[in-house]
Amino acid sequence: MAMSLGFVVGILGVVILSHAAYSTVQYRGLLKIMEEEFSGPPLTVVAELLLGLGFCMWAALTVPGTFLSIHPYSEENRIVSLPDNLDFMIFNHRARVFPVELDLNFKH
Amino acid sequence: MGASEKKSSEAAFDVPTLNAENLQSNMKVIYYSRTFMSIIGGIIAGILGFTGLTGFIFYFLIMTVTSVGLIAKTGFTVYSYFDSWSQIILDGFLGGLLSFVLFWTFAYDIVHIF
Repeated sequence: MAMSLGFVVGILGVVILSHAAYSTVQYRGLLKIMEEEFSGPPLTVVAELLLGLGFCMWAALTVPGTFLSIHPYSEENRIVSLPDNLDFMIFNHRARVFPVELDLNFKH
Repeated sequence: MGASEKKSSEAAFDVPTLNAENLQSNMKVIYYSRTFMSIIGGIIAGILGFTGLTGFIFYFLIMTVTSVGLIAKTGFTVYSYFDSWSQIILDGFLGGLLSFVLFWTFAYDIVHIF
Protein backbone atom coordinates (compact mmCIF):
# COMPACT_ATOMS: atom_id res chain seq x y z
CA MET A 1 0.00 0.00 0.00
CA ALA A 2 2.84 2.38 0.69
CA MET A 3 4.17 1.89 -2.79
CA SER A 4 0.91 2.65 -4.51
CA LEU A 5 0.48 5.77 -2.38
CA GLY A 6 3.93 6.89 -3.48
CA PHE A 7 2.97 6.20 -7.06
CA VAL A 8 -0.16 8.33 -6.76
CA VAL A 9 1.80 11.15 -5.16
CA GLY A 10 4.39 10.96 -7.94
CA ILE A 11 1.77 11.04 -10.66
CA LEU A 12 0.07 13.93 -8.89
CA GLY A 13 3.39 15.79 -8.83
CA VAL A 14 3.87 15.24 -12.56
CA VAL A 15 0.31 16.44 -13.25
CA ILE A 16 0.96 19.58 -11.20
CA LEU A 17 4.17 20.20 -13.17
CA SER A 18 2.41 19.82 -16.50
CA HIS A 19 -0.30 22.20 -15.36
CA ALA A 20 2.40 24.68 -14.41
CA ALA A 21 3.96 24.24 -17.86
CA TYR A 22 0.64 24.91 -19.52
CA SER A 23 0.12 28.04 -17.41
CA THR A 24 3.58 29.27 -18.41
CA VAL A 25 2.79 28.72 -22.08
CA GLN A 26 -0.37 30.80 -21.71
CA TYR A 27 1.56 33.45 -19.79
CA ARG A 28 4.08 33.69 -22.61
CA GLY A 29 1.28 34.07 -25.10
CA LEU A 30 -0.06 36.90 -23.02
CA LEU A 31 3.38 38.53 -22.91
CA LYS A 32 3.67 38.26 -26.66
CA ILE A 33 0.42 40.13 -27.07
CA MET A 34 1.56 42.83 -24.69
CA GLU A 35 5.05 42.76 -26.30
CA GLU A 36 6.97 42.41 -23.07
CA GLU A 37 10.08 40.41 -22.19
CA PHE A 38 9.82 37.09 -20.39
CA SER A 39 11.72 37.47 -17.16
CA GLY A 40 10.22 34.67 -15.17
CA PRO A 41 6.97 32.82 -14.72
CA PRO A 42 4.35 34.39 -12.43
CA LEU A 43 4.51 33.74 -8.72
CA THR A 44 1.61 31.30 -8.71
CA VAL A 45 3.43 29.15 -11.26
CA VAL A 46 6.60 29.20 -9.16
CA ALA A 47 4.60 28.13 -6.11
CA GLU A 48 3.00 25.37 -8.16
CA LEU A 49 6.42 24.19 -9.34
CA LEU A 50 7.71 24.03 -5.78
CA LEU A 51 4.67 22.04 -4.74
CA GLY A 52 5.15 19.64 -7.65
CA LEU A 53 8.83 19.35 -6.78
CA GLY A 54 7.98 18.49 -3.19
CA PHE A 55 5.51 15.80 -4.24
CA CYS A 56 7.92 14.28 -6.75
CA MET A 57 10.77 14.34 -4.23
CA TRP A 58 8.64 12.47 -1.75
CA ALA A 59 7.65 9.94 -4.40
CA ALA A 60 11.28 9.53 -5.52
CA LEU A 61 12.33 8.65 -2.00
CA THR A 62 9.52 6.25 -1.17
CA VAL A 63 8.62 4.44 -4.40
CA PRO A 64 11.88 2.71 -5.43
CA GLY A 65 11.92 0.61 -2.28
CA THR A 66 13.38 0.49 1.18
CA PHE A 67 17.01 0.10 2.10
CA LEU A 68 18.04 -3.34 3.28
CA SER A 69 20.70 -3.79 5.88
CA ILE A 70 24.04 -5.11 4.68
CA HIS A 71 25.35 -6.35 7.97
CA PRO A 72 25.39 -10.15 7.90
CA TYR A 73 24.54 -10.30 11.57
CA SER A 74 21.63 -7.90 11.69
CA GLU A 75 18.18 -9.06 12.66
CA GLU A 76 16.71 -9.21 9.19
CA ASN A 77 19.64 -11.10 7.66
CA ARG A 78 19.60 -14.00 10.08
CA ILE A 79 18.47 -16.71 7.71
CA VAL A 80 21.22 -17.76 5.35
CA SER A 81 20.91 -20.62 2.95
CA LEU A 82 23.35 -22.08 0.49
CA PRO A 83 23.10 -20.91 -3.09
CA ASP A 84 21.76 -23.34 -5.70
CA ASN A 85 25.05 -25.11 -6.01
CA LEU A 86 25.14 -28.43 -7.80
CA ASP A 87 27.96 -29.64 -5.56
CA PHE A 88 25.49 -30.16 -2.78
CA MET A 89 22.63 -31.68 -4.71
CA ILE A 90 22.33 -35.43 -4.63
CA PHE A 91 20.54 -37.20 -7.43
CA ASN A 92 21.74 -40.71 -6.76
CA HIS A 93 20.42 -42.02 -3.47
CA ARG A 94 18.72 -45.01 -1.85
CA ALA A 95 15.26 -44.16 -3.05
CA ARG A 96 16.08 -45.45 -6.48
CA VAL A 97 15.64 -49.06 -5.32
CA PHE A 98 12.05 -48.42 -4.27
CA PRO A 99 9.47 -49.85 -6.67
CA VAL A 100 8.00 -47.30 -8.99
CA GLU A 101 4.52 -46.25 -7.86
CA LEU A 102 2.12 -46.03 -10.74
CA ASP A 103 -1.05 -45.12 -8.92
CA LEU A 104 -0.90 -41.49 -9.74
CA ASN A 105 -4.14 -39.77 -8.92
CA PHE A 106 -5.52 -38.00 -11.90
CA LYS A 107 -8.22 -35.72 -10.66
CA HIS A 108 -10.66 -34.64 -13.31
CA MET B 1 17.57 -18.42 -3.19
CA GLY B 2 19.77 -17.37 -0.37
CA ALA B 3 21.57 -14.16 0.31
CA SER B 4 25.09 -14.37 -1.06
CA GLU B 5 27.93 -13.28 1.18
CA LYS B 6 31.52 -12.40 0.60
CA LYS B 7 33.43 -14.61 2.98
CA SER B 8 36.81 -13.89 4.46
CA SER B 9 38.37 -17.09 5.70
CA GLU B 10 41.56 -15.58 7.14
CA ALA B 11 41.40 -13.61 10.32
CA ALA B 12 44.65 -11.83 9.45
CA PHE B 13 42.98 -9.95 6.59
CA ASP B 14 40.07 -8.49 8.45
CA VAL B 15 37.80 -7.80 5.49
CA PRO B 16 34.34 -7.04 6.81
CA THR B 17 31.73 -9.38 5.37
CA LEU B 18 28.90 -7.73 3.55
CA ASN B 19 25.59 -8.87 2.26
CA ALA B 20 26.35 -8.08 -1.36
CA GLU B 21 22.86 -8.75 -2.64
CA ASN B 22 21.32 -6.16 -0.33
CA LEU B 23 24.08 -3.69 -1.13
CA GLN B 24 23.30 -4.05 -4.81
CA SER B 25 19.59 -3.59 -4.18
CA ASN B 26 20.33 -0.43 -2.20
CA MET B 27 22.45 0.93 -5.04
CA LYS B 28 19.58 0.30 -7.42
CA VAL B 29 17.23 2.24 -5.16
CA ILE B 30 19.56 5.24 -5.16
CA TYR B 31 19.94 5.04 -8.90
CA TYR B 32 16.19 5.07 -9.51
CA SER B 33 15.64 7.91 -7.06
CA ARG B 34 18.38 10.05 -8.60
CA THR B 35 17.29 9.41 -12.17
CA PHE B 36 13.71 10.35 -11.42
CA MET B 37 14.74 13.51 -9.59
CA SER B 38 17.08 14.50 -12.46
CA ILE B 39 14.20 14.22 -14.90
CA ILE B 40 11.86 16.22 -12.68
CA GLY B 41 14.59 18.80 -12.08
CA GLY B 42 15.13 19.09 -15.82
CA ILE B 43 11.46 19.70 -16.47
CA ILE B 44 11.31 22.36 -13.76
CA ALA B 45 14.46 24.09 -15.05
CA GLY B 46 12.94 24.18 -18.52
CA ILE B 47 9.67 25.62 -17.28
CA LEU B 48 11.42 28.29 -15.24
CA GLY B 49 13.39 29.32 -18.31
CA PHE B 50 16.89 28.79 -16.98
CA THR B 51 19.65 29.09 -19.55
CA GLY B 52 23.35 28.45 -19.24
CA LEU B 53 25.08 28.15 -15.91
CA THR B 54 21.95 28.79 -13.86
CA GLY B 55 20.52 25.50 -15.02
CA PHE B 56 23.56 23.52 -13.93
CA ILE B 57 23.55 25.23 -10.57
CA PHE B 58 19.92 24.23 -10.28
CA TYR B 59 20.90 20.64 -11.08
CA PHE B 60 23.50 20.55 -8.33
CA LEU B 61 20.95 22.00 -5.97
CA ILE B 62 18.44 19.30 -6.82
CA MET B 63 21.08 16.59 -6.45
CA THR B 64 22.15 17.94 -3.07
CA VAL B 65 18.59 17.94 -1.82
CA THR B 66 18.15 14.39 -3.14
CA SER B 67 21.33 13.28 -1.38
CA VAL B 68 20.11 14.76 1.87
CA GLY B 69 16.80 13.03 1.36
CA LEU B 70 18.49 9.69 0.73
CA ILE B 71 20.68 10.07 3.79
CA ALA B 72 17.59 10.90 5.81
CA LYS B 73 15.98 7.78 4.39
CA THR B 74 18.74 5.67 5.88
CA GLY B 75 17.92 7.29 9.21
CA PHE B 76 21.38 8.89 9.17
CA THR B 77 23.05 5.52 9.73
CA VAL B 78 24.73 5.27 6.38
CA TYR B 79 27.11 2.47 7.29
CA SER B 80 24.39 -0.03 8.02
CA TYR B 81 23.22 0.15 4.42
CA PHE B 82 26.25 1.16 2.38
CA ASP B 83 29.94 0.64 2.12
CA SER B 84 31.03 4.23 2.24
CA TRP B 85 29.74 7.80 2.04
CA SER B 86 30.79 8.24 -1.55
CA GLN B 87 28.32 5.64 -2.72
CA ILE B 88 25.28 7.40 -1.44
CA ILE B 89 26.41 10.88 -2.43
CA LEU B 90 28.12 10.49 -5.76
CA ASP B 91 26.57 7.47 -7.35
CA GLY B 92 24.12 8.60 -10.01
CA PHE B 93 25.52 12.09 -10.39
CA LEU B 94 26.86 12.19 -13.93
CA GLY B 95 24.29 9.84 -15.42
CA GLY B 96 21.58 12.01 -13.97
CA LEU B 97 23.23 15.07 -15.51
CA LEU B 98 22.62 13.74 -19.00
CA SER B 99 18.96 13.03 -18.27
CA PHE B 100 18.65 16.45 -16.69
CA VAL B 101 19.99 18.25 -19.76
CA LEU B 102 17.74 16.20 -22.04
CA PHE B 103 14.55 17.03 -20.19
CA TRP B 104 15.68 20.59 -19.57
CA THR B 105 16.01 21.31 -23.29
CA PHE B 106 12.84 19.37 -23.96
CA ALA B 107 10.73 21.35 -21.48
CA TYR B 108 12.35 24.64 -22.49
CA ASP B 109 11.51 24.01 -26.12
CA ILE B 110 7.93 23.09 -25.37
CA VAL B 111 7.23 25.98 -23.04
CA HIS B 112 9.25 28.82 -24.49
CA ILE B 113 9.72 28.17 -28.15
CA PHE B 114 6.62 26.51 -29.46
